Amino acid sequence: MIPRHFQITVALVLLAILISGVVIIRITHKEEAMTLQASEAGPVAPVVGGKQEHIQLLLAYDEDQALRWRPADVFLPADRNLRAREALRSVLAQYLQMPSPHPLAKGADIRDVYFISTDTMIVDTTAPFADGHPSGILLEELTLASLIETLTANVPGIARVKFLVDGRERETLAGHADLMSFYQTAVVHEMAKEFE
Amino acid sequence: MALCSALAVSSAAPQQQPGYKSFPSVAPGAEGQKRTPEFFVMIDPSHGGSDKGASLGGKLMEKDITLRLARELRRELEERGIASRLLRESDIDLSLDRRAEITNEQRAGIYVALHAARPGRGVRVYAPLLVSAQQTPAGRFLPWDSAQSGALSRSQAVARAVTEQLRKRGLTVASLGMPVRPLNNVTAPAIAVELAPDQDDPQSQETQRRQNSVTSAIALGIAEIRSQMGSRP
Repeated sequence: MIPRHFQITVALVLLAILISGVVIIRITHKEEAMTLQASEAGPVAPVVGGKQEHIQLLLAYDEDQALRWRPADVFLPADRNLRAREALRSVLAQYLQMPSPHPLAKGADIRDVYFISTDTMIVDTTAPFADGHPSGILLEELTLASLIETLTANVPGIARVKFLVDGRERETLAGHADLMSFYQTAVVHEMAKEFE
Repeated sequence: MALCSALAVSSAAPQQQPGYKSFPSVAPGAEGQKRTPEFFVMIDPSHGGSDKGASLGGKLMEKDITLRLARELRRELEERGIASRLLRESDIDLSLDRRAEITNEQRAGIYVALHAARPGRGVRVYAPLLVSAQQTPAGRFLPWDSAQSGALSRSQAVARAVTEQLRKRGLTVASLGMPVRPLNNVTAPAIAVELAPDQDDPQSQETQRRQNSVTSAIALGIAEIRSQMGSRP
């Protein structure tokens, strides 16, 4: 006959093992979900080919209200459109990481980039890029200046840039910065100097 | 884009082209009198209605701060004998194009858009920046995207005067040229002022004091530039 106190002890140990197992399984699932969520927030387009290049990105730093050039090693294809897209996505990748110098919403990405003439480029962004963009004149202008300056620094021959959101024109980025205009890169270059 | 809201100067006005709007050079009903229209400042409490603007912590939204600032600025201007009008007096939706249209139709002397957003703790004064290639006016019709071109240097002068007054009050000020909507669509001298509220407590007494100081400095800057440049800067 097994003593009653021994039965209770064994039962408690088994219960403790069971509870620990459930807790461990739930923690593991939570971490997997977080990892999946983080990966979904990143760029969605497939990785392109090309050779790795050491390029300069102009990044916005909200706390300092400044723009600073930062080096990055990025795979850039020879095609101008793809090259432009990858340069822009490198900037967004910096903003989507944690901690971010200039936080953007999850899902902010470049849908497409194409030339409509030899020197005029259209940058089509995803809806979350604008829908989730923090509102404010300075924050919005820093984003646009950062993207346009990075473009012109890494893809030669761009004189004008126009932004679309999810394939359509939009009045402003998040209530302030003009998205209807074709931005002259020379004018943006002068504007960006004020923040460097 | 709507093209029908601009006032017709005469019945023989040329036909409008897409992207162009006509802007009157004299007051309606003033033909033959050549009187100088009354100078007034058009104050734009930015955002409103469903457009809440920036979120400034808790339930405090940019649209509420801008309306409060606008009323305070009107009071400050009135104290200095300068007439002013508000583009909105309550929490209503008003598109950016409509704000510029009303300002142009009423022939404001100066347009001031008020904003409130992070980051930082200071004040930012923005003059217009024409980022698109300049289109040539077609007769009386001005290209909508660069309607500001004729007033650009005066806008920069207003921005400098306001910045100077803000600095005199010990406030941290940045003065910048930016393509902020709808400054480039306004034919009068136009500026935007963005106040960065205290991030820890946007409704603190210190923030309130700073807001009053900002509106007072804007009014002083406008009064100064008006006296320098005559009744219609």
